[in-house]
Amino acid sequence: MKTRIHPVLIVLTVLTFLFLLGPLVVIIGSALSDTTYLTFPPQGLTLHWFTNIFEISAFTRTMGTSFMLAVAGTTLSMLIGIPAAYAMARYRIELPAFLGNVFVLPILIPEIVLGFSLMKSLASGFGLPISLALLVGHALIVLPYTVRVVGASLNSFDFSIEEAAVSLGCPRIKAFFTVVLPNIRAGIIAGFILAFITSLNDVSISIFLTGPGVSTLPIQLLAHMEQFFDPTIASVSVLLMGVTVAVMAVVERTLGLTFLTK
Amino acid sequence: MTQSLTLENINAHYGTTQVLEDLSLHIAEGELVSLLGSSGCGKTTTLRLVAGFLEPTSGSIKLGDRDLTRLPAHARDIGLVFQTYALFPHLTVRDNVGFGLKQRNISGAERKKRVDTMIERVGLGELADRHPANLSGGQRQRVALARALVIDPPLLMFDEPLSNLDAKLRVDMRVEIRRLQQANGTTALYVTHDQEEAFSISDRVAIMKGGKIMQLDTPEVLYSRPANAFVADFVGFDNMIEMEAIAEAGDAVRAQMAGGVQIDLPKSQFTIPSKKFLFATRPEGLLVEPETSGFGIPAELGMRTYIGRAYQYHCETAAGVVMANGPQATPFESGSAAMLVPQPEQCCLLPTES
Amino acid sequence: MSNRLRAWLLATPAILLVFIFLGLPVLATFATTFGDPKGPFSTYAAFFNSRFRMTVLWRTMEVALVTTIISVAIGFCTAWVVARMPGRIKSLLIIAAVFPLLTGVVVRSFAWLVILGKNGILNNFLIKIGAIAEPLSMLYTQGSVIVAMVYLFVPLMILTLVGVLEGIPQDMTDAAASLGATPAATFRQVVLPMAVPGLIVGAVLVFTGSFTSYATPQLLGGERQMMMGTFLYQRAMVTFDWVGASTIAAVMVVVTLTTVLIMSKVARKLNPMAG
Repeated sequence: MKTRIHPVLIVLTVLTFLFLLGPLVVIIGSALSDTTYLTFPPQGLTLHWFTNIFEISAFTRTMGTSFMLAVAGTTLSMLIGIPAAYAMARYRIELPAFLGNVFVLPILIPEIVLGFSLMKSLASGFGLPISLALLVGHALIVLPYTVRVVGASLNSFDFSIEEAAVSLGCPRIKAFFTVVLPNIRAGIIAGFILAFITSLNDVSISIFLTGPGVSTLPIQLLAHMEQFFDPTIASVSVLLMGVTVAVMAVVERTLGLTFLTK
Repeated sequence: MTQSLTLENINAHYGTTQVLEDLSLHIAEGELVSLLGSSGCGKTTTLRLVAGFLEPTSGSIKLGDRDLTRLPAHARDIGLVFQTYALFPHLTVRDNVGFGLKQRNISGAERKKRVDTMIERVGLGELADRHPANLSGGQRQRVALARALVIDPPLLMFDEPLSNLDAKLRVDMRVEIRRLQQANGTTALYVTHDQEEAFSISDRVAIMKGGKIMQLDTPEVLYSRPANAFVADFVGFDNMIEMEAIAEAGDAVRAQMAGGVQIDLPKSQFTIPSKKFLFATRPEGLLVEPETSGFGIPAELGMRTYIGRAYQYHCETAAGVVMANGPQATPFESGSAAMLVPQPEQCCLLPTES
Repeated sequence: MSNRLRAWLLATPAILLVFIFLGLPVLATFATTFGDPKGPFSTYAAFFNSRFRMTVLWRTMEVALVTTIISVAIGFCTAWVVARMPGRIKSLLIIAAVFPLLTGVVVRSFAWLVILGKNGILNNFLIKIGAIAEPLSMLYTQGSVIVAMVYLFVPLMILTLVGVLEGIPQDMTDAAASLGATPAATFRQVVLPMAVPGLIVGAVLVFTGSFTSYATPQLLGGERQMMMGTFLYQRAMVTFDWVGASTIAAVMVVVTLTTVLIMSKVARKLNPMAG
């Protein structure tokens, strides 16, 4: 096939990808530098800054918090989101069309506004523990991902299979778990993992719902950056990039990364 | 300004796979030739080569005196109707039809006149300002046709244009396509996998297999006188019996088939192509008669089905199972013995493939 | 149980989650802005009469708009090439775009802190090649915020547009060519009009995303380049002016929702596939 692309466009594409990946290479390089300040290319190589992460209790503590928060928030969102996605795909005519828009509201409403409002109403107004407000906030912002990604799987699911199971004497609930769920597994895994990384990286909600007692890793990073400017931040960033790689591997194995272009 | 199309010794490859092998084809001015075959036979590749979407490895493509082989697609001036119609969704019917004229820098007034005339001719006058999304399948098909015709191309090509329509509409549209093509006298290349469609619409049909043309002839010849076993099988010669000429018997040739059964084929009615040959017929080419008939292939009748104008029987012969028809008036019982009498004008003797 | 009842029951938890924890708190925030004793709209009057607040609003609009334009331009050209690449290279490029997209905003903004700082890579490099004698102050400028925002949103734009461009069937471009359209004419008259609705969707994502961002303007803009997000945080958590913060929040919601609504109307109008 003839695919002629203007050379200027090719050069531009190469530059774009250098622009996209260069800064990440800079982070990796400066995390390895044997200096007490951030520099690139690294001067001398050391893994000291990685071990240093674990000597700063604020980092180890918030890492744990962030991880548990992401797992709990995503799980909560899945438990609530999967039935909704199922209802919308299975009983399309029974539910008003605008319901789909309700579930994307957490994306439409600016996150920082949501964070502020949650802090104001829940933590301050109702005296809800801040950690609980944080959990609810994270479940909310990942809800659109869980509903949409699982919904995409459900939309390509042939519900006559479920009806076949029911006609063969399988109770509806059992049919859902034994016939529907296994067939949308890829969507659930991918939805979970995308929601997880979104929650893990969140700043705009967490910034309002963290305090002296409870904090997340991105918030701790922000705070650390304002006081110190040493390679520890870079090494934490490299760890987070490692999580991204793991997430991408899972998405690639389930739905395929090209799913993200749809 | 219609022109003839000539393909000479075309070879084409996808990667290392050869998809067309030394293919030559001539379509005379004003003639409609179909390429017929199952998927993967090379018919669509041939069309895409002529359109300029693919380049042949070797060979030449000529439209009239013009060599198209290395010309880019947009400079070829060929009207093409796609299987998916490929209507531009963002343009109205009028702008879709006018698209080709716009590329040819034909001015507003002239363009409008030609577009409107063409839209009327395909019967879409009322719908000129609609978008394709708001048209039925048949209407989209007409727009696609109008869009290809309005540029008054020397050659029209159709890539399975009717396969997305329902059965009734398909028949209407193929009549319509034939009518417009003949009215314009445009040379046309038509690709389809539907035998009835190809036969009904074409002056000549090329039956293709594995990147080669197996036979190129008028529909009548293809239907009654296939040149080889592949074409015979393709046009519905369900019975293929291997035979061998073993002796002369007066004005007949004695042929023997598997199981030692012999039959005398009169020379006046059958031409033996080679010592070993294939005896090919449709079910109606073998008439079921009572066992007492002197001439024919002895058989035991199996299942009987009613097919409207006759009864059809699964017949057990020494040479294998064949299908034969029997008269409507006198049905035979399954299990009875009978003679299958060849009807010369409906039988073909083909050389066995080497 | 009727299907309708079953459907509603299954959807209820999600509806409640959104209603109780998003709908009510956000409405409460809005309500706060109308509760001022000086009259229901006095907070807004104060907002729009304050030179400083309007500067922040316009700056945020400007940054978001410039970011959107640059991201669309870079994203479209890149997506055009990516969509045309053979399978293997295409997958690699998509991976290269997804990786930064899934990496957190703090990490990605931090990278530019390292690059653009006084002792950063860019300054060191420019001094080394003799282009400048003294390090430039590149951080805490509108430029540094825009660069980092473009960096944030280009991957999103590329992925959206690769999907859009791949959604244009090859038959369409083939048909245009068969009707005599040169590649340039095909691009102008067929590809571009068909890509516009997707382009608008992508542009809206970038605009609202940069309009409401917090971490990037916080790190790269600082106090000097206050934007709506950082301004809201400062009012709420530093000066504890919750009415003021609520007003900023309301303005952000109105701008975002108006943009989304108007542009999705425009996109729908330009999208002939929708009928």
